[in-house]
Amino acid sequence: MECGCPGSKMMDRRDEDSGDAPAAAVNSQLRQWPIQLHLISPEAPYYTGADVLLTADCVAYAMGGYHSDYLKGKSIAIACPKLDAGQDIYAAKIRSWLEDAKINTLTVLIMEVPCCGGLLHLAKQALAASSRKVPLKAVVVGLDGEIRSEDWVTD
Amino acid sequence: MEQLLNSGIKQIIDEHAEVGPILEAYGIGCVPCSVGTCLLKDIVDIHGLSATQEQALMTKIAKAVYPDRDIVIPLRAKTSTENGTDLTYSPPMKKLVDEHTWIKRLLAQVPNLIRTLDLTAEPGRQLVRDVLDFIRNYADRFHHAKEEDILFKYFDEKLDILQVMLTDHESGRSHVRAIAGAVEKQDAATVSEHLAAYRELLTEHIKKENEILYPWMDKEMSDSQIGQMFAAFSDVDVTFGDGPGKHIAFVETLEALNS
Ligand SMILES: [Fe+2]
Ligand SMILES: [Fe+2]
Repeated sequence: MECGCPGSKMMDRRDEDSGDAPAAAVNSQLRQWPIQLHLISPEAPYYTGADVLLTADCVAYAMGGYHSDYLKGKSIAIACPKLDAGQDIYAAKIRSWLEDAKINTLTVLIMEVPCCGGLLHLAKQALAASSRKVPLKAVVVGLDGEIRSEDWVTD
Repeated sequence: MEQLLNSGIKQIIDEHAEVGPILEAYGIGCVPCSVGTCLLKDIVDIHGLSATQEQALMTKIAKAVYPDRDIVIPLRAKTSTENGTDLTYSPPMKKLVDEHTWIKRLLAQVPNLIRTLDLTAEPGRQLVRDVLDFIRNYADRFHHAKEEDILFKYFDEKLDILQVMLTDHESGRSHVRAIAGAVEKQDAATVSEHLAAYRELLTEHIKKENEILYPWMDKEMSDSQIGQMFAAFSDVDVTFGDGPGKHIAFVETLEALNS
């Protein structure tokens, strides 16, 4: 029986039909730079009062409609909860979004692999520690790019 | 079928009485509704049925309305959040649902209150005034104000379902006025009658909101609107300070008194 990390387990899906490519060019919905969580400043103007997506690195590659379905009209930062160092800095930046930038909502997009849950956990902890609360949403994306779940976190 | 979906529910039930019980079997209680101009498609949409439930319901309705036609209703793909299996609310909607819990706990005390009602003595009258204080300030000013001044503003207030909700709020207020007047006249029969009616009204009202209205509204609202509404509710909470806490404490005292 095979065991090991499900987050790095190999999958070969080249035989599957990936459907048609879009007929027209897909516009990027990215309206800011930088995007990596270590590089961004939580007080950059595009975070003020914004609906913010905290997206795990792999998500935008897995999902076909990331730009139009999620990124449009939102601000973003990306991170990997498994490989990135200095996650205490991440926690402080998320809290600064909440308290200083006074963001409107926070949506965490993660892959369905267990290690990705760390990013949601980080956001929950920052929210618990923050004096200001906002609605937090968790979106879990399958390795096939489909949305597994999309729920507001209310505990 | 398209035409049927765009017909008012009262009209459909008037012309095809069998549709009423079919809807009721799916927990859709349109038959006693006084308004009844909701479109069938909105009703099906608003009740958050799973894709298979919706397909089965529409097949039965199509059979009732067009008995001589063979209409195949396709399974409409729904996202996981549309499947209506378990109710998860957005954080601001969850706040309203939590407030309902306190209102329901107060309503649960009403039968006891009626049974032990004694308006001849000042403490008995004061107890009813305290209950009215909870209803006026917690259920109405604090909770219904969030609904009427904030939540409903995101929707067209001419919508039938909102009209029904607003009418319920008004009916509740008139029961409160009737109780308040009758207490001072020591008219126990009127106080009991309107307390019981208020309990019945609000019990049904809260059920409609928790199970139908809020899940539908959650589905309709954008994340950005949910965030704005959450902030607006938080502002209301700050404005009311420790008022709601005192009303919650009153419910607990009442429960302890009656246990
Ligand atoms: Fe209401
Ligand atoms: Fe309510």
